Amino acid sequence: MMRHIWKLVWNRKRANALIVIEILASFLVLYAVTLVGVYFAHNYRQPLGFSYDRVWLVEIDWQRESIELQPELEEEKEAAMMRQLLTAVKEFPEVESAAAMSVVPYSNSTYSSGFTWKGRQVEFMFNRGTTDTAQVLDMHLTAGRWFTEADAAGSSFRPVVINRRLARELFGTENPLGQVVKEEQDKVERRVIGVLEDFRKDGEFSGLQSYMFEHATLGKSKGGQPNNFVLRVRPGVTAAFEEKLTGKLRSMAPTWGFEVKPIEQMRESTLLWQLIPLTIFGVIVGFLLIMVSLGLLGVLWQNVTQRTKEIGLRRALGATAGEVYAQIVSELLVVSTFGLSLGILAVIQFPLLKVVDFISPTVYFTSLVISLGIVYGLTVLCGLYPGWLATRVQPSEALHYE
Amino acid sequence: MIHLSNVEKVYRTDRIETVALSNINVRVEQGEFISIMGPSGSGKSTLLNVIGLLDVPTGGEVTLNGRLITSYGDRSLARVRNEEIGFIFQTFHLINDLSVVDNVEIPLLYRKMSGAERRKRALKALEQVGLSARVHHFPSQLSGGQQQRVAIARAIVGGPRILLADEPTGNLDSQMGDEVMSILKALNSLEQTTVVMVTHDQRQAEKTARIVRLFDGRQVN
Ligand SMILES: Nc1ncnc2c1ncn2[C@@H]1O[C@H](COP(=O)(O)OP(=O)(O)O)[C@@H](O)[C@H]1O
Ligand SMILES: [Mg+2]
Repeated sequence: MMRHIWKLVWNRKRANALIVIEILASFLVLYAVTLVGVYFAHNYRQPLGFSYDRVWLVEIDWQRESIELQPELEEEKEAAMMRQLLTAVKEFPEVESAAAMSVVPYSNSTYSSGFTWKGRQVEFMFNRGTTDTAQVLDMHLTAGRWFTEADAAGSSFRPVVINRRLARELFGTENPLGQVVKEEQDKVERRVIGVLEDFRKDGEFSGLQSYMFEHATLGKSKGGQPNNFVLRVRPGVTAAFEEKLTGKLRSMAPTWGFEVKPIEQMRESTLLWQLIPLTIFGVIVGFLLIMVSLGLLGVLWQNVTQRTKEIGLRRALGATAGEVYAQIVSELLVVSTFGLSLGILAVIQFPLLKVVDFISPTVYFTSLVISLGIVYGLTVLCGLYPGWLATRVQPSEALHYE
Repeated sequence: MIHLSNVEKVYRTDRIETVALSNINVRVEQGEFISIMGPSGSGKSTLLNVIGLLDVPTGGEVTLNGRLITSYGDRSLARVRNEEIGFIFQTFHLINDLSVVDNVEIPLLYRKMSGAERRKRALKALEQVGLSARVHHFPSQLSGGQQQRVAIARAIVGGPRILLADEPTGNLDSQMGDEVMSILKALNSLEQTTVVMVTHDQRQAEKTARIVRLFDGRQVN
């Protein structure tokens, strides 16, 4: 029977070429769509690395003069004020814990850095946090520790905390703790003291990135002061606290600007902005998918209905309904396997050539399996339904079909 | 073997009702050679389809070996069509994308049989109809008479007990028609194959033992 099917497929190569092309095209569209979907779903399922529950943000604007005569003096004064402010914030009974940091979760700012490591360029996102930042944001460390006050007392090296991805990138399977990271221009070496599960500043849908934290001391520092506080309030604290907090801070530093808001609120607007293009993309893709599957359905459908006569003949010559189904479905499977093989050859180039390197092989592979499944499923359905229709009519009627 | 009693067949399309057969009583017994005659549109093909289990009547009863065909399931009906009945269609119904020998093999595909055995039997059937020289041709490369003979080879390849032929000589010149007739006669006399043949050729019909005459869907005698 298989030989018979091969002969039919081969002898009908012209008609089948059309199906192969249609299947190839559908598969490519489907694959691209699945890839995007799986990519975001995969990101979504990765740990965020922090929690935003009851976390509030204080954005501080130092209102610096445009021309600073003595920038260092200015910075020192700023740092002193920042320390005072942070202490004041911590004294509120509503506040569980508070810390300062440069780039807060769900903010628009990014701070990226990079250096040459063992002959290749390593890129990562960069951030600074004080001793309590990890506690406020409930950041999970998988190894080592977060910064302590002892780190602040000017040691011979600069301690850094990196995420797992960066640890893997820099040290592979070696234990990253205690390893030295050195930039060419650095006089002081950086040493890894802790590994974070992750810190996905841009939230659930964002891509996975390498990350490095440095200790911010709110004192004399080389890299600039963090200008944000993050604080975790006690359960039940209402929005009224916003006013109270702002009032206190204003009274202490009247020339500075303060903006207080829950991170939850920033999260919502960030996700909204990420979801709007995704939704638009989704709608367009939905239409595209409908078009593609209708096209595929049409081609396959026509192929089977054109053969109503043949189905009638085979029934008249003694094929059972099951045998007719099996034959039609097998033929379609053979033809679609041709188209899909071409498709796999095409899409396998992406991971092989590393065209888009932020997408992981797992994501590529999962999308491949899903889109293969959908095309095969659609093919089988298309074969089954007209086959079922054709076997429902009497052979004599099917033979009359024009 | 196959008994029809009070068979009626009505085709219903949107508004038109065509009574193709009405009150037909025919008994086809083992080893018979029967011809069905009648003018065009009198229901000959319809009757043959009912006898060949390719169609179900809208009224009356059809029994095969004493059992109502409505009691047969899809599988057993398929088996009867495959093993007991050989059908020669008026318009051949060959599959154009398959070679002559592949066309002849089709009924054997639905039996447990090795590919080599299928090929052997198909070649033998083609030899019987005198087409050994054309086995790898495609139907479109053959004349009408040759196509008719492929259809006959396909009908006999499975060794059926009953052969149903719808105007098997209708598309052929009289010499080739005689050849086809002698093939059918030989099968009937040598292998006791029952033959039911539709024809409007009085000369051919007279060569058969019994003639069923139809007029406007009714039996006339
Ligand atoms: N599938 C069908 N649908 C509707 N009418 C049909 C169908 N098949 C046959 N008929 C009608 O039934 C009658 C008998 O047809 P048929 O058995 O083919 O006649 P014959 O073979 O004697 O020429 C004709 O009037 C024909 O138009
Ligand atoms: Mg007819």
